[in-house]
Amino acid sequence: MMICIAEMPSYTYAVKGKKLLSSKNIRCSIIRNEKTSSGSCGYMLNIDENCEKALSLLDKSGISYKKITDGGAL
Amino acid sequence: MINFDNAATTYPKPLSVRRAVDDAIRKYGGNAGRGGHSLAMRTSEALYSARETVADFFGAVPENVVFTMNCTYALNMAIQGIMCDGGHIIISSMEHNSVARPVTALAMKKNVTLSVAEVFPEDNLTIESFRRLIRSDTRAVVCTLAGNVTGQILPYREIAGICRENNICFIADGAQLCGIREVKLSDGINILCTAGHKGLYGITGTGLLVTDGKYPIKPVIQGGTGSNSMSLLQPDILPDSLESGTPNVIGAMSVKAGIEFIRKTGMQKIEQHENLLCRHFISLLEKNRDFVVYREPAAEYVPIVSFNIKDIPSERTAAYLAEKGFGLRAGFHCSALAHASLGTKDGTVRFAPSVFNSISETDRLFAELRQHRTITV
Repeated sequence: MMICIAEMPSYTYAVKGKKLLSSKNIRCSIIRNEKTSSGSCGYMLNIDENCEKALSLLDKSGISYKKITDGGAL
Repeated sequence: MINFDNAATTYPKPLSVRRAVDDAIRKYGGNAGRGGHSLAMRTSEALYSARETVADFFGAVPENVVFTMNCTYALNMAIQGIMCDGGHIIISSMEHNSVARPVTALAMKKNVTLSVAEVFPEDNLTIESFRRLIRSDTRAVVCTLAGNVTGQILPYREIAGICRENNICFIADGAQLCGIREVKLSDGINILCTAGHKGLYGITGTGLLVTDGKYPIKPVIQGGTGSNSMSLLQPDILPDSLESGTPNVIGAMSVKAGIEFIRKTGMQKIEQHENLLCRHFISLLEKNRDFVVYREPAAEYVPIVSFNIKDIPSERTAAYLAEKGFGLRAGFHCSALAHASLGTKDGTVRFAPSVFNSISETDRLFAELRQHRTITV
């Protein structure tokens, strides 16, 4: 199970992304990190499982993000 | 005080709205979209839930819902944000000053030209008057869905159709129709501006701009959005681009509760009840030749009745009614164009009931009007 953290452009998109993934039974949570790259709001989606599928779902829904951490296999 | 001035702002508010405001003050006192502590996160989640409710109500996506201070701010943001590069703009002859003044200010600059489409009681004539004014450089049409003086409903779906055919942005002022009739972006509206505190039963200080995103709106106000903080440029993503500064979370939660109240009560039931009061009131006025009612048989109206007592200025009538415990607005209702079209030199008195008014209150109002007529003339 791959985990990853996706940096979101705004809190609104972070919630939208979380709701989308939750509706597909992918566990995730919104976390805050002030040390984020340019263009971010500091809110990130901590995706606990099935990272590839999760990011694909975000892509398909037009929810922009930057994948900043590849957490590797659990 | 019996309030028949609900076209200005609804009062009283539903109990559920009052409770939602109290709840928001106690629970959502953080700054939405800023910070990661529990209070900020809880507040952010609440604001998003209000965005979702509004989006669902108008057929939009949550990120395209912008909370504003009122409908006037939303309209200014839309008009100035679309017309910033100049061009031709068309408005109707029934527009509130929240449209008429910003477009006049733009027209005083050399790069914006303004046309006013006359509104008729007959929809086909109104539609034609918009169609006739379309030019190759027309960038936007701004049109009220229902006028705030007489309550006339405009043929906005057809006007939206003309805009779509000509690739023109259609900006709608929904202040008097939203909450009374179902209004959706799928009606052809590109940018819907409305009040949160009128038919949606939220508190004052709330407004909405809801867009389909087809026409990017350049922000007229820049500032902190909680996003991209190290950039000196305003973000270009909605809603952040148009929501600078701390949002009115308590107001947004009141609008959410207001919409839920409408859904629970039933929009059709609300309109039927208010229309019943209007028809009853008109039937009383029309039994007496001393009253003038500003309605046309060919037109359709939201629950508003503009009227006058012959030979008595509207403000005098409203002042008398205020002394007797009734709240009605007289004068020109911030609508220079509409009153000029109607030819009402002394303005009108506006009867605007809400779901909380009753037949007996309407009867008592009419009794006072007759008394006023008797002692004044």
